[in-house]
Amino acid sequence: MVDHPAVEVDGLHVGYGSTPVLVGVSLTVPAGGGVCVTGENGIGKSTLLRCVSGLQQPDEGTIRVFGGDPGATPEFWRAVVTTVEPPTWYPGLTAREHAELVCRAHGQDPSEAGVDEALERFGLGGHKDAIPPQLSSGQKQRLVLAIALLRPSSLLILDEPEQRLDREGRADVASLLTDYVAGGGSLLMASHDDDFAVASGAEITTMESLSA
Amino acid sequence: MTAVPLSPVRRWISRTQSSHRERGATLGSLYIGALSVAIIGGMLHRQLADIFWPDAPNLSGLAGGGLAAVCYGFLFLALRRLGPLTLSRPAAAWLLTAPVSRRMLLLPSLRLTGIAAAALGALAAVAVVGHAGPHHSMNGEQIALLITGGALLGIVLLLVATTAQAGRRWGVAVDRLAGLVVAAGFAALVADVAVEQPIAVTAWPATGTLIPIVAGIAVVVVVAVALVIRGLGATPNDRILEASRTAGTLFDSAFGIEPSFLTDMIERRYWARRRLRSTALFPRLPVLVAQDVLLTLRRGSRLLWLLLGVTLPVLFGAAPGWVLGAVVLVGCLVAGMVATGNVRTDAGNPVMLRMLGLTSRDAVLQRLLVPGVLAGVWAALALTALDLLGDLDSGPWWALGLTLGPVGAAAAVHRARVGFVRNELLPLDTPMGTLSTGPLVNAVMGPDMLLLGIPAWIAIAQGRLSPTTLLLQAVIGIAGARFYLSGTTADDRTELSH
Repeated sequence: MVDHPAVEVDGLHVGYGSTPVLVGVSLTVPAGGGVCVTGENGIGKSTLLRCVSGLQQPDEGTIRVFGGDPGATPEFWRAVVTTVEPPTWYPGLTAREHAELVCRAHGQDPSEAGVDEALERFGLGGHKDAIPPQLSSGQKQRLVLAIALLRPSSLLILDEPEQRLDREGRADVASLLTDYVAGGGSLLMASHDDDFAVASGAEITTMESLSA
Repeated sequence: MTAVPLSPVRRWISRTQSSHRERGATLGSLYIGALSVAIIGGMLHRQLADIFWPDAPNLSGLAGGGLAAVCYGFLFLALRRLGPLTLSRPAAAWLLTAPVSRRMLLLPSLRLTGIAAAALGALAAVAVVGHAGPHHSMNGEQIALLITGGALLGIVLLLVATTAQAGRRWGVAVDRLAGLVVAAGFAALVADVAVEQPIAVTAWPATGTLIPIVAGIAVVVVVAVALVIRGLGATPNDRILEASRTAGTLFDSAFGIEPSFLTDMIERRYWARRRLRSTALFPRLPVLVAQDVLLTLRRGSRLLWLLLGVTLPVLFGAAPGWVLGAVVLVGCLVAGMVATGNVRTDAGNPVMLRMLGLTSRDAVLQRLLVPGVLAGVWAALALTALDLLGDLDSGPWWALGLTLGPVGAAAAVHRARVGFVRNELLPLDTPMGTLSTGPLVNAVMGPDMLLLGIPAWIAIAQGRLSPTTLLLQAVIGIAGARFYLSGTTADDRTELSH
């Protein structure tokens, strides 16, 4: 896995009907490195992340994730965590139980993985017993990030993780992402917030600069 | 603040809406509706007569009382689930927030539900009198008075439900009481089957006795209706909005032929009302099994109804054997479906499955376990009840029930993985008109797996159980579930879609 870049995108073309969204996009995220793509709304940041996550087929171009095709295989999803799709929550399961479920599915002991500490860190300590649909949109966003960072992974693909977070929350998440990359993980994210992108330690690039 | 008169507003809305419709569209819809009722009524009137008014009464007094409790209990619970007072979604959005009289706004809804409750109450009375009353020795006036009494009882239930909707705390207690009434009625029906010589109703109060009773109830109903109308304005907004969403979802489900809209809404509301406390997910169990066990234990009332339902097949003791067998198999499916809420979530959107990183095979294998246990135990108890109270030859029927566990599990999980109705499927042209195949295909997916229970079906229909049948059912059930697992899942994908 370490022999290959985390993400290699080359000559990516994607269009919706007759409207081209991505034209000749190329991008490399080195293994153990972080890249943050910035750009205005509608420029194709989320489409790029969806393609890299294997959730959308490009019209043309190649995408390699750790040297392989992005896809629906369990191996891929054990290595990659993405937040480009809004989650659907399980019925009758609290926020803490969702985090515990994900940890246990990856063979982690919930206490050793630090479920309670993670929820506290994301400001969800007082909402552990709430079912996620009862949480506010910001709290749900923080829960998704907490779960994404709790479980083991090699690549994080995050779509505007700073959204719906207050200033303090953004600083905390940026610091956690820095730690994630420092720990050997790779990061590809899209963001509107330059300060957040700088704080996360990721290399900043614009969508325009990625197009041929 | 002065309230704006509502009638001109409604007239304007109605006129504007009419101008957007084709000329005569409403009349056309009414004509088609009336014609459909006439055709269906013409085709099924004999069967309907048998259901509501058999030639001779066939229920004892105990069973008649049980039937009345079940019918009126369900009527009350249905009224409470629907509101009972409701508004259309546009009216809830635009008129509820307008300075119009709340009482006038809700009055048409009360009128409509009043007519429906009275009609259903009368229909229940027809069924109870038809099955349990000595109607050959009763005169027309007696029957008419009893049916009128049933209609009035329907309205009384509506008034109680309307008052409970207005925010009274006793609403939940009355709901529970109605649930108990239904359970008691159901128990009476089962007990009637177990009794050697049930006591039939041979005499009925005379017309002279019935008239003052019905008249008295009518007077009480009129006074209660006046009081309820007076208090309509106090119905809180949130209750009206909730009822409006229910009605809207119900129409969406009906017009879109998509039952999942309704079941999802019921599920969401149930959990929104619950206060949960986080607990460890049974560390000794596989993770998804632990999740299913937790979900099942948190739906304690469903388990209770399931336990009560083990006696349901006993009520079909007099029906043809194949009907009894089918009831047991469908019961297995329903029992398994109590624990398939998580599969429905994963089938609808695999985001969490991707987060879990499990293969679809591992996921479905784990998800089959709890529905299998529920279906097997339910069938074992149901067949034991039939063995003790019904006409089955003695034998290890409980063991046959356990062999139906894999069948119920496969059927329930298959049902939960169906997803939305595929309305893009080609319609079939039949002599009766065009038949949409999407809802049809959706409806049979799940129940189709019950064909794995054919050996048990035959054994129950014949009332005889041999060791060969038992072994055959066990093999077919386990092998069928195994084939279902290997045929619809893979080790190299996470999605549960087929």
